Amino acid sequence: MALSVSDLKDKFRNPGPAELELIARYAMLPESAQRERAFEAFAETGLPHRRMEAWKWTDFKSAIKAVEAPSKAAQCAPLPAAEHVIEFAGSKVSLPDTLPAGIELHERADAQALGGAETVPLGAMTAALSGRVGGLGTLIIEVAGETSAPLHIVTKGDRDETNFARVAVIVRPGASLDLIESHVGGAGFSSFLIEIGMQDGGEVRRTVLQRGSGDEAQALTAIINLGAKSEYTQTALAFGAKVARLETRLTHRESESHATLNGAYLCAKGFHADFTSHVLHGAPSSVTRQVTKGAVLDGGTGVFQGKFLVPRTIGQHTDADMQHQALLLEDGAEVFAKPELEIYADDVECAHGNTSGALDPNQLFYMRQRGIPEAQARALLTEAFVAEALEGANEGVREAMLDAARSFLTETVR
Amino acid sequence: MEDVKVKDGIDEGTVAAAKALESENYSAGFATEIETEYAPKGLNPGIVKFISDKKGESEWLLEWRMKAYERWLTMEEPDWAMVRYEPIDYQDIYYYAAPKAGAKYESIDDVPKEILETYEKLGIPLREAEVLLGVEGAAATAIEARTENDRPKVAVDAVFDSVSVATTFREELKKAGVIFMSISEAVHEHPELVKKYLGTVVPQSDNYFATLNSAVFSDGTFVYVPPGVRCPMELSTYFRMNAENTGQFERTLIVADKGSYVSYLEGCTAPMRDENQLHAAVVELVALEDAEIKYSTVQNWWPGDENGKGGIYNFVTKRGDCRGDRSKISWTQVETGSAVTWKYPSCVLKGDDSVGEFYSIAVTNGRQMADTGTKMIHLGKRTRSRIISKGISAGKSDNTYRGLVSVHKKAEQARNFTQCDSLLIGDRCGAHTVPYVENRRADAQLEHEATTTKLADDQLFYVRQRGIGEEEAVALLVNGFVREVLQELPMEFAVEAQSLLKVSLEGSVG
Repeated sequence: MALSVSDLKDKFRNPGPAELELIARYAMLPESAQRERAFEAFAETGLPHRRMEAWKWTDFKSAIKAVEAPSKAAQCAPLPAAEHVIEFAGSKVSLPDTLPAGIELHERADAQALGGAETVPLGAMTAALSGRVGGLGTLIIEVAGETSAPLHIVTKGDRDETNFARVAVIVRPGASLDLIESHVGGAGFSSFLIEIGMQDGGEVRRTVLQRGSGDEAQALTAIINLGAKSEYTQTALAFGAKVARLETRLTHRESESHATLNGAYLCAKGFHADFTSHVLHGAPSSVTRQVTKGAVLDGGTGVFQGKFLVPRTIGQHTDADMQHQALLLEDGAEVFAKPELEIYADDVECAHGNTSGALDPNQLFYMRQRGIPEAQARALLTEAFVAEALEGANEGVREAMLDAARSFLTETVR
Repeated sequence: MEDVKVKDGIDEGTVAAAKALESENYSAGFATEIETEYAPKGLNPGIVKFISDKKGESEWLLEWRMKAYERWLTMEEPDWAMVRYEPIDYQDIYYYAAPKAGAKYESIDDVPKEILETYEKLGIPLREAEVLLGVEGAAATAIEARTENDRPKVAVDAVFDSVSVATTFREELKKAGVIFMSISEAVHEHPELVKKYLGTVVPQSDNYFATLNSAVFSDGTFVYVPPGVRCPMELSTYFRMNAENTGQFERTLIVADKGSYVSYLEGCTAPMRDENQLHAAVVELVALEDAEIKYSTVQNWWPGDENGKGGIYNFVTKRGDCRGDRSKISWTQVETGSAVTWKYPSCVLKGDDSVGEFYSIAVTNGRQMADTGTKMIHLGKRTRSRIISKGISAGKSDNTYRGLVSVHKKAEQARNFTQCDSLLIGDRCGAHTVPYVENRRADAQLEHEATTTKLADDQLFYVRQRGIGEEEAVALLVNGFVREVLQELPMEFAVEAQSLLKVSLEGSVG
């Protein structure tokens, strides 16, 4: 490495203890131009904090005082799709013995991938810090043809300090991938970066479960590029962590692509979940549908930030709709939302809606009248409310996701 | 605006009306030839003292200004708004400009002819007799005379560059106990009231432009409505920037005491000049228990020509404080002018059951950039707010709605409804929506929508049932709504606003 730790440190403005730790880790990694570029980008901002507009409600810098192992190992079991599993556990990576037909894995020692990660602070950080000496930098998943079974990516720590992983997915023309992800915590700071490049006519369904503990920070960053007539469907269920962010940056690169970005968050006391998305309609006649639902208890925080950017000329005939609806189940719950539109093309249909409030007392009354106890009625109504956002999940794991939501609500809602 | 291709379904009338707003049609663009006295260019403690001396202010106000000036030196100009403009050289501006013949005139007859003519040209009645009788204006036709007679009375404070030149109907207002005068007079005549309320809504250190204003504010209007009084007429201020290279820094303070009501209007114009001029105003409203303030603005500052040359930078801080229980503040704005607009009339809903409203129609054309919206801060119990914003962009302009709805922990049963629609005419402009919604109460009910399809379904159904297509039905309903807002403006303003804005709103996007 050309630069010493102290030189690297100078690139940061007021680095905190956690950042110093990350700098030291970076200094031990093998040298690579890509990695260096990512690190430079990360140094621009350091760990994102509340004084940055896009992070005003989600402050990683103050949440991560030091990089420390959490008190608990993984928060829950991964989703029940055990056949083809890629597992990132601390610094260990285990790959499946067999792969579904149509999928090939390539391992790269450096941080080579599709690019674009540098624009997101934690994406840049993950690109700079994923992998280890003599080991895997980036895992590339190449999909050609229709895959026969879902591929399951698990990130799971065993009271590790960090768990940084980076995956790139290339979907060849007309190919399809069913991707399941379980991010179940167990590391003090885990960050997962996935870049998905979809070529013409490709199809990807991504189903994500996120669950950390109250003393972990978790970031999931996805960068997705859509080719012509490709179709991307994302369904995520998040329980949050001390601080957790699920960030999706999606670009419609070619015309007539279709994206669905759905998600639900359920936050108990001390938990924070942030769904942030940025959708660029960089080609004509592209469609985006987005529904995010959330339910938050006393002491929990839900954040939704959505943005549709429709540029002049190339964004014509965009059809985009963004909905965020949140339930504050108890006093002391907090929900922050910023649904944003930036539109420079005139022949488009863009809409957003945002609501937050309590359960409908009429519905509650109806259920109680039928003899259902109040707590149960509230849990049932909340479950039905969030379930809508989970309909697009992989059939094999959808029920497990709903079960997770149900048992959470049954245990916590009073 | 050259001939632009317009999306199907937008009617010709809308396009024509937007075109009518182009620079060559700016009717208020003339300059008045009058000898003007300036303070030396630039900003330093000497200038702050100069302005204070000119106004013959007491020590406390000079100190207050100096404190703001020192604070301002440490601040940075905000850059988060979606507007771009050449850096402002704050040392290249005259901070004080006044017609030479003296700052304040004993009677309307002493006001220089040029100034009276200016206001006459702008259609602002400064002679009470004219307004009262409608005769001296020598109405050309019988119909005109009738409408003049039917006009409701409006009291006007006319601010010309840095000074207030005339305030009408003061005696009549005095009978009702209403204080209506320029703020420089109020500082002398009612120092206790000014001292009590000045800077309590928008503190000196609030933001860069408000702090600058606190240091150098020259004139503006002061209104105090005593308890239980319903102000007998509409009050208005007409701001006119005339001198070159000047900035206008007015300060308005309106206090509605318990159970009172006041409706206040504000109009603004400026000559067409090639340079950019800065307008950094501060408006503070205070509504005590059961009081209501209705504040309407028709902002028609010179927007610059179609190439973006010249125009006013309109960087304004407006905030209302619903300090008492059951108080209400309602902002209505029709924004058609200014090269750059940076303006967020807000309501701090402190009193229980207080109500905040924001109705806005913002039209941008040419190279205009507008970043405008509101903040509704819910602090009291059962506070309610309503935001309706319609943005229309044409030419090569950018129009941004930026709003905050914040419900604090103690604001039980707070309620907000927000609707912001935008319309793009042509494919060279931009329309943006940046709402922030912060909810910390489980029993709050917050709705934000930005779709035309979510107009009241029953109304839509009714209209469609009569055989009218959906698009047309929506336009009809939205137009109906806009008209309702405009109709709340007093006659003169409604006419002015309507002629500025005969724009229908169909084909809206969020």
